Parts: sequence; structure tokens; C-alpha cells
Amino acid sequence: MERSFAKEIEQLRKGEGEVFEGEGIMAITKALLQAGVSYIGGYQGAPVSHLLDVLSQGQGFLGELGVHFENSANEAAAAAMLAASINYPIRGAATWKSTVGTNVASDALSNLASAGVVGGAMIIVGEDYGEGASIIQERTHAFAMKSQMWLMDPRPDHGRMVELIAKGFELSEATNTPVIAEFRIRACHLHGRFIAKDNVKPAVSSLSRLSEPVFNVGRISLPPSTYLQEKHKIEVRLPAALDFIRREKLNEHFEGSCKEIGIILQGGLYNSVVKALQQMGLADAFGGSEIPILCLNVTYPLVPGEVTEFCAGKTAVLVVEEGQPDYLEQALNAMLRKADLQTVIVGKSVLPMGGEYTASVMLEGVTKFIEGAVPQGLDLKGIGAAAERARIAKRDAAALLGGPLPKRPAGFCVGCPERPVFSAIKLLERDLGKIHIAADIGCHSFSTLEPFNLGNSILGYGLGLSSSAGVTPNFSKRVISVMGDGGFWHNGLVSGVAGSLYNQQDSVLVVMNNGYTSATGQQSILSSKKEGNRPRVTIEKALAMMGVGWIRPVRNYSVGKMKRVLKEAMTTTEKGLKVVIANSECQLAVQRRVKPLAAKKLAAGERVVRTRYGVDDEVCTGDHSCIRLSGCPSLTLKDTPDPLRRDPVAHVNNECVGCGLCAEVADAAALCPSFWRADVVQNPGFLDRFLWRIRSWVIGLPKAQVAPAE
Amino acid sequence: MTAKPITILIAALGGEGGGLLADWLVGAAMASDLPVQSTSIPGVAQRTGATTYYLEIHPGTQAMLGGRRPVMGLYPAPGDIDILVSSELLEAGRAVENGYVTPDQTILIAAAHRVYATIEKMDMEDGRVDASRVLEACRRMAKTPLLFDLTRSSRTRALPLNAVLLGALAGTGRLPVEEPAFEQAIRQRGVAVEPNLAAFRIGLAIGAKGPESDIIPDTGSSPARGSASASLAGAARDFPPAALPVVEEAIRRLVDYQDESYARLYLERLGKVRDYPEAPLLEIARQLALWMAYEDVIRVAQVKSRPERLERVRAEARARADQPVHVTEIFKPGLDEIASVLPRGLGRSLRNWASRKPSRAALHIPVRIRSTGVFGHLLLRFAAGLRGSRPRSLRYIEEQATLETWLALVEQAAAIGADFAFEVARLAKLRKGYGDTWRRGQVNFSAIVAGIVEPALAAKVNAAPQLREAISAAVADPESVELGDVLRPSPARL
Repeated sequence: MERSFAKEIEQLRKGEGEVFEGEGIMAITKALLQAGVSYIGGYQGAPVSHLLDVLSQGQGFLGELGVHFENSANEAAAAAMLAASINYPIRGAATWKSTVGTNVASDALSNLASAGVVGGAMIIVGEDYGEGASIIQERTHAFAMKSQMWLMDPRPDHGRMVELIAKGFELSEATNTPVIAEFRIRACHLHGRFIAKDNVKPAVSSLSRLSEPVFNVGRISLPPSTYLQEKHKIEVRLPAALDFIRREKLNEHFEGSCKEIGIILQGGLYNSVVKALQQMGLADAFGGSEIPILCLNVTYPLVPGEVTEFCAGKTAVLVVEEGQPDYLEQALNAMLRKADLQTVIVGKSVLPMGGEYTASVMLEGVTKFIEGAVPQGLDLKGIGAAAERARIAKRDAAALLGGPLPKRPAGFCVGCPERPVFSAIKLLERDLGKIHIAADIGCHSFSTLEPFNLGNSILGYGLGLSSSAGVTPNFSKRVISVMGDGGFWHNGLVSGVAGSLYNQQDSVLVVMNNGYTSATGQQSILSSKKEGNRPRVTIEKALAMMGVGWIRPVRNYSVGKMKRVLKEAMTTTEKGLKVVIANSECQLAVQRRVKPLAAKKLAAGERVVRTRYGVDDEVCTGDHSCIRLSGCPSLTLKDTPDPLRRDPVAHVNNECVGCGLCAEVADAAALCPSFWRADVVQNPGFLDRFLWRIRSWVIGLPKAQVAPAE
Repeated sequence: MTAKPITILIAALGGEGGGLLADWLVGAAMASDLPVQSTSIPGVAQRTGATTYYLEIHPGTQAMLGGRRPVMGLYPAPGDIDILVSSELLEAGRAVENGYVTPDQTILIAAAHRVYATIEKMDMEDGRVDASRVLEACRRMAKTPLLFDLTRSSRTRALPLNAVLLGALAGTGRLPVEEPAFEQAIRQRGVAVEPNLAAFRIGLAIGAKGPESDIIPDTGSSPARGSASASLAGAARDFPPAALPVVEEAIRRLVDYQDESYARLYLERLGKVRDYPEAPLLEIARQLALWMAYEDVIRVAQVKSRPERLERVRAEARARADQPVHVTEIFKPGLDEIASVLPRGLGRSLRNWASRKPSRAALHIPVRIRSTGVFGHLLLRFAAGLRGSRPRSLRYIEEQATLETWLALVEQAAAIGADFAFEVARLAKLRKGYGDTWRRGQVNFSAIVAGIVEPALAAKVNAAPQLREAISAAVADPESVELGDVLRPSPARL
């Protein structure tokens, strides 16, 4: 991690009455400290990475409070950490990206939920759903229901989110149940402020340790205790939760002048619904709405009394619930049926079953609901104007643009060391034909997009190799599995490598060893370069210790060599696991370190050589093979300067970091002689200038170009 | 106070500093005591993808509002954006496409240069979106379009774009935030304060007075090189005026490439089709010149050893006058390319020897030449000097023969239809590039000639539509899959 979070840590130190200012996820972090947690664990991933990054750098400050922090090996490890709250009155929190992380954590979560907790246990999940999400589209809601953990979905307002985290711990303790708090991407990145409270030093912590363990067979997840735990969940914990949620007013009822209809919504969607009502002229800037709103900051369990009271006397109620299945809508219908209420519940019939509820989706849905419900006393004239206006804007734009614009998904950065590996695989395919690639989660997932389109399946983080186990025995050619170093330590080492060795699979594995879990923001792992006292285990050493015989480390940018080694792995008669370790540091990290250093040296008048690559526009004929084999963002196009030609030529723009991939590819694929490399000598010395003068004379540069003495 | 919040959407590419721009806006609003909310979908840590930041700023100060707090949206709403800021033209177009720009409401502030998407760049010919269309859509859909291109002037090219955009936004006066509040926000955020402040001030002027110059489409062309003797120039004048620019450029090109007599050969060849309709004539004139000036090692060395070329590299690498630049050329000629510049007999022997084993045929020799070094430069000049012996080389002899055949096909096609002749002429464009690209083009060229052109000529049928389809197919994918489909004999075709 090359970034500094000193400013964020300063915010976390704020005390009673001070104004905290920052992103939602930081407010949540502060809330944990104000709630007196003793320990925090987690695994990085958008949108919660920031919580871990900041705390990871804030170890000293956490130490003062006695709070223990861990970058867990994976989400299962983070969830298992919450075991401390099973027997002891210790508050703890774990965090990850959901639902992928919740999947990994599920084993521990099921056992935790069954055993129950005495100390408050809070799971902060970043609900990565919809626009900008990087994972499969599912809901955390199902996990909460199946394991019976309470699910909070707080209204995106810093002050309210912080209060609800505090209440969540109380809820957890009052009901012996872990609580999940889910936050959507935009809420995590929401910039806002709230009045802080003092951080609370936990009663039990690393500063004040326990001496006696507690033994309670009732808290062991083994029959017969598990039967009793299930009974306890139903008879004690659930009623206690319903009571607590209602008593403490965790859900919010916003009154409105219209008595006939109402809206029940997930807390996280409150602002979006209000925004739609504002656009329709039914709410003011401060959220004052003509339609009554029941804001569910706790979406599981629903409190039957609260819901039926809200619905009673209304002809129709809209339930706004993102994603599928429509758990809330189903539950509400069942509750009203049981209470014998005839209120019509409208939900997925006016809002889409799947996908994110963006502003336009919300506006369309709410408009349809109100137009359909025709409540008395509301001026319906102009209700549909905002939605119509948006439709007209899109229609007119489409007509002017004449067709859909090309998409621009995220991709490999300029100079990314993972790109050359896929260039090499592309070239390898010229020799061997198409190859099945078992892809993995990480930046390298982008290989499946243009221009490479390499990768036939993605099954989960660190599961690249495992996902080849059924393909390999059914394929005439060997399969290439890909895994990042992040995925390797997350679980690939065991489920992939150990499994492959034990089952004597004949596989080829490429491990992208870029030094960090780069896709989540460059967090360190066991194989990262040494920092402080942390031990380091290289991937090569780990594999050797496991008994992998065929290991070839290759520098990524050597495309030709990478291709040769991959070809050897694909064609050697040697059976068993063959691992190519693609070694090159994440370019973002390199640049973050190297750029300021170079700037400092330059300012000090020291000699600094800057390298970049380029294309001769007179030599390039505009076929763009180089682009199809590299995909570097800085390798782009420009109009040809040749009046006889039409097609644009390749061009390297100024973002080039001089990694040399374009030239390596031109070389490995024997593309064309257009590429050049320029080494610009900044702050040249006497010798540089002297030689340059001679060379300029030979080349025949005009006098003005000959470097003058200073 | 129930005034609407001012809505701002920032469209950018990952890594362009859109987040910092949002931070500055938040800072400026807070410094002005205005309630503000911002959010984003930066997604993963990677760069280059399209991303957005959304802000709402309430126009009434906190002091005026007392304890009341506005509830603001987390999503931009189509048809309800007051200010749209984009760091690139396609992203501005995307915002327009998504309905975020409306003619009665939106101030559209956009950097109008292009950063091409991968899908645009991959195309074997030109897959770029029509920028003029996007520009037009931006202008028509916005209430106030403020489009400017900083990349067109060396004075503004290196400016931090996000700070210029902030300045332009401030300059419009749409936000109830005074200039010093913006400057304070830049200072407080502490990132490259001085350069950002300077860029902010440049942006201010753009926002207040509009961009200095209108955006004109690129018409980059290199200075004409090579000179033509009076007699050559005179001969060129025999062609219709519409063809003159191409013919004159061709003459210059071929004199530079080889010599005057080679240019004369061009005029002689072109003379046969002088009376053709304009479209095929122009296409023949262009393709013939490009074909005759085919790329070989000698030509590449000639281009790369020119002093002006080094100046171009220096400019592109943004080297200052006092900074020496070392240029390394990256070559990997195959045996075939070496054989092609050898005299015919020798070249044939080498090629035959190479073709006997696949490993030899695939052999390429990686060469790195430091063209700014004394030795490297002289080496390039020596290679360029081989052009005197080019007419005796294997490839020269082969190319002249093939192009004569092609010209004959064009003439035969012209007897059937001008559009047919045009397409046969256009077919020559497949033969471009180096190495595998060139080989693939040559194979496709021959396949189309044998599969469509020759049968059509024999049957005296106009095959222009089929040819058009085949040419598009040949450049649709580098594996020539689509061309294979087109050429596969089927009863519906010839």
C-alpha cells in the first residue's frame, strides 16, 4: 500500500461534538469505534476496502484504544473471528464485499448464528449490486433469512447510519444474534458529515485481557445443542428482535398528507424515492412528502405490527425493494393476509424485478404506482411530466447520435503487467489453436473483455485452478488456469494447488504475482515485499514446499519468453501441475512510488532518464494488430498524416509509462517496424551533451537542435 | 426555503482525476456554507473505464436553513441535471445519450478531445465514432454548451484537465459559490496546488467568456516531401482537376521513394485509365501510388534516418531543446523480408531454402538499432541507400508483375461497369502492412481475385456488390473467418 491515510485517521480520532466529515464507509468505521468494538477483521473489496486500508494504517491509533485489527486471509477467516463474541461480552465487527464475501464466510456465519452471541457482533457488508458492481448480482437478504441474522439497510444519511450501527450492537446483544448491516456502493462513497462522539475504549480488549475461558456446551454447534439453538432462535431471539426494533424505533415512519396510499421502502433506497417524489412535485427539498413513507432500516425481520399499522386504512402501498426474489413483497402480502387487511401491495409490477433502482427506474416506477392508484386529494396533473421529460431527452439524443455509443468498460491500466501475459497467450494460440482458459477473479478478469477475449469461465476468487478440474480430463489440449496472487492466498493455494496435486491433475497454472491484491486497491498479502515485522513467504517457496516440481518464474513484459514458457508447459510430456509465475509489480504501485522520486531528483538537478515508446506515423499502415494484441490505453489512434491513406495510424499518447509492452508485442509477433523507444535525458551531464553534439552533427540536425550549453 | 438543489454530474474515465474534481466542488460548497452531497461509482481500482460522480448542492446556506437538512439524491436523474461536466467527448456523448442533458436546463462543460475506447481502436480499418455527430448532439441538447479542446494547443495540452473543468464550471456563475471558495478548496485538498490553481484560472476564462476557438476536425498531414521536375508536373496536368492533388502527391512520393523515372512509370500506368469516371480514377490513382511505394526495409530505413523524423520523435516525447534523446528502433525482419530486397536470383534461393523447413520460414531476427547513435544512424542510411538497387530486387520484380495484372483486371472490369472497376481498384487496399499482416492481405487479395473477380470477368457480370461484401469481410476480423464465409461457394453466388 503506497497511499497514506493520515487525514482519514485524523477524522477517526474526533471526539464528542466535533464535526466528522468524509465518505460513508469512514463514517461507519467511526461508528464502530464509538460503539466500543474490541476487534475488527475483514477482507478487502469494493466498496468496503477503504475501511480496512485506513484501519490497517491506523494500527497505532487503534492500539491506544485497545482495538485489535486484522486483515483476514479471507472472508471465512473474518467471519470466524466473530467467535470471540460467542462466549465473551466483547463487541466485534467483520467486513467484506457481498454477496461474494458472504458466500465465502457462510460456513462460519451459519455456525455463529446458531450458537448465538453475548457480545455484539456486527457484519458490515458492501452490497455490490447494480451499476459499477464487479460481481454477480445477488442479495445478501437470503443469507440473513436462512441463518436468522438481523439485516439492517440504513437510510443513507451519515448521522442516521452511525446511530443505527450503535443500535445494531445493542440489538445484537439483546437478541444474542449477529447483525448484518448492508451498505450500497453509493452510500459507501457518499460524502457527508455528522456530529461525532468520543471513541469508546472497550472494557475487554488487548489493554484489559480476560483470564478465564467460558465453557458453555449450549454454545457449541453440535447436536444436541444445535436443536436447542434452533428452538432458541424461534422462541426467544426472534420475538426479542421484533420487540427491540419496534421499541427503539429503528424503522422510521414519515407522515404525509395523503391518507390513501403509502410507500414502504428499504432504508438504503429512501433518498432515491424522495428524489423521485421531489421530481414529481410531491416532496420538498427536506424530504417532506405528501405520501407517507415507512423506511425500513431493518429489512429482516419485518415487524408485523409496524407494517400492518402502516397499511391499515390505505388502499394501496408501494414496496420498493431492490433485487430479486421479492422477499419483502412476499412477506408483506403474507402479513396483510394474516391480518385480514385488503390493502393492495404494489411492488415488482411497477418496478423491475432485477437490476439497480437508478433515478430513472425509480421515477418511472413511482409514477406508475401513483397514476395507477389514483389517490383522492392529490393533484395528479403533471405527475408524469418528469418521467416524460426524461424519455424525451433520451429519445432526442438517440436521434441526434444516430446509434448507440461504444461501451467503455474498465480494463487493464497503462503499463499493467498482466496484459503481456494475455498477449503471450494470444500469440500462443496462433501456434496451438484456441485454448480453454479457466479465469479467476482479479484485474486479470479483464482478459475476458476486448481486445483479448480470453477466459472461458470465472467461478470465484482463487478458484481458477479448481474450475479446470472437470474440464481438463475432457479436453484434448491442456487447459490454462489463471490465478492472481490475491486469489492464491485467499484460497487458491488449498482448493486449487493442493487439490490439483492430490488428484494428480495434468494442469497448467499461471499465477499473476504483482505483489498486492491489486483489484481491491493494492492491499498487501503474505508474498508482498516486506514491511515492518511482517513475515514474507514467496509464492515460489509456498509452491515448492507443497511439492510442485515444475515452476517457472517469468518476467511478464518478456512476451516472447512468456510465450515460450507457456508453450513448454502446454506441450511438455511431464505430467502433473505446471506453474508459471508471472512476476511484475502492479504498475499503479510502481508509478505511485517512482513518480515522486523522479520529480524530486529532477528538481534537485540530477540526471533522470525518461523512457517512452512511439509509432512512426509514416511507417504504420493502420492495421491495428498491435492494438488487438496489447490493448494498452496509451496505445491509441490518430489520423494518418499520409494524404494517400485513409485508416488512422497507431499512436502512443503521453500517458505512456515506458513499460515497453507494445514493442515487445511488435517483436514477439513480428508485427511491423513502426515502434521506437525514446530515452529522454533530463538534466543531461557534460558527457551527454558532448556526445549529443557529435551525434546531431552526424544525423544532420539543424543547428538549433544541437543541445546548447547552459 | 424550498429551492431545488443544483445537480452536477461529472463524467470521466477512471484515473483522470474526476474524484478530485468532485472533492474540490464539495470543498468549495462547504466553504460557502452550502449543504452538499456527493457520491460516485469508482468501482474497482482499475483505470480507463467510464465512471461518474454525482453531486447535489443546496442553494441556501446552512445558516439560512437553521436546523433543516435537505434530503438529496444519490443518483443523477435524466432530464434533471443542471451542470454536466465531462473530461472527454465520448463520455459527454454518453451523458447526452442517457438523457442527462436537456436543452432548457443543462450547462454542458466538456473537454472535447477523444480518448478512443478499445472497441474503436481494435478495428482493422477505422472504427472510430463520428466525433462531429457527437459534438453536434452535445451542442443541440445543451442549454449552454461549453466545448473546448485543450489538446490542440501546446500551451494548454499539459494542463491538469480537472482543474480547468472546475474553473470553467466556476466561470459560468451557475453555482452560488464565489471564486475564492474554489481556490480555497484546491489549497485545502493539497494536491499539486499551484499547477491546479493556474489551470483553474484558465478554466475560469473559458467558463465566463466561452472557449477561445471553435473545435475543428483534425486535418493533420505531413509536409510534402520530394520534388517533381517541371516535365513531371506538366504531365500531371493532363489529368482531370479532381485527380490532381492525388496525382501530384503520388509523383512526389514516388520520386522520394525511388526516382523520377519511377514516377514517370506511374503516370504512364495511370494514363491508360485517364478517361475513367472520377470515382474509379481517383481510387486507382491512390492505390497505384501506394502499391508502387510498397513498404520494404529500404523504405523504412529511409523514413527513419531523416533528421526531420528525429525532430518529430523529440516533439512526441516532449523533450526540451536541451535534452538529448536516444531513439532505439525495434525491428524484427523475417527471412522473407530480407530475401525480398536481395537481387532476384539470390532472393529466390534464400526464400526456397527458408521454405523447406517451417522453423526457417518463421525465423525472424530481432534487431535493435539506436538510430541516434553514430553507428546506428549510418547503418540506417546505408540501408536507405540501397534504393538504387531496388529495381533489381526480388520483391520489386514481383510487385510490378502483380500490379500490372491488377491494373489489367481493373481495365477489364471497367468495360463492364465503373462501379465494378472502382471495387477492383479498392481491392488493392488489402495489401498493406508488414509481416503476417501483409501475408494475410496478400492471401485475401488473391482469394478474392480468384473467387470473385476472375469468374465475374469471364462471365462478363458486374460483381461490384459481391466485391464490396468480400472487402468488408476481409477487414472484419484478422482471422479472415468472415471472408471464408463469403467466399465459400454457394448456389446463390457466382
